[in-house]
Amino acid sequence: MLVLTRKSNESIKLGDDITITVVEIKGNAVRLGIQAPIKLRIYRDELYEKIKMENIMSSNLHLNEIEKITRKLGGK
Amino acid sequence: MIQVTTSRFGVLEAENEKIINFADGLVGLSNMKRFILIDHRDTPLKWLQSLDDPDIAFIVASPDIIVEGYSIDLDKAVKQHLQLDNDDDLVVLVTMRVQGEDVVANFQGPLLINSRTMRGVQIVLDNPSKTYQKI
Repeated sequence: MLVLTRKSNESIKLGDDITITVVEIKGNAVRLGIQAPIKLRIYRDELYEKIKMENIMSSNLHLNEIEKITRKLGGK
Repeated sequence: MIQVTTSRFGVLEAENEKIINFADGLVGLSNMKRFILIDHRDTPLKWLQSLDDPDIAFIVASPDIIVEGYSIDLDKAVKQHLQLDNDDDLVVLVTMRVQGEDVVANFQGPLLINSRTMRGVQIVLDNPSKTYQKI
């Protein structure tokens, strides 16, 4: 991991198209501003991991789990 | 026409027009880009079957059959990604799984499909009120 130190209002460039700016530092929290192409999806890491885990767990359902889901929602 | 041998459904044939393309794949599963939707018996549930990895399939449902009043706001980037001109072409699906005794739906990472262009995207909602919900 590349580790850089930036102060408020300082920025980092990723390639030519992405700029990350430290907008504000308040106690323990850093507010970051991100300029990136509209196509680039940006997520809080823990959220990304959570959805990834949901995807992985949902992709591999056992037969009895399928039955459970079907019973609960199949009639609606 | 594409043919794939799946663990759940045996050999499937999918017409090219029925293939849904997730250009960025799914979150954390970026290689899963092509899917087809298959009816699940006589129910409103469906299977989203991967054509890239035959072992991967999701049970999915429209949020409407699970909760009332589920709505999402699409930003311009997502609409562009789907080439969505008409909101009527939008299909929203959520995946489900079992957690203990409960069935849990992933409302925080819904799958959006443009039924006209057959493009799909999974979005992540940063809204704490739309997390996975027990059904």
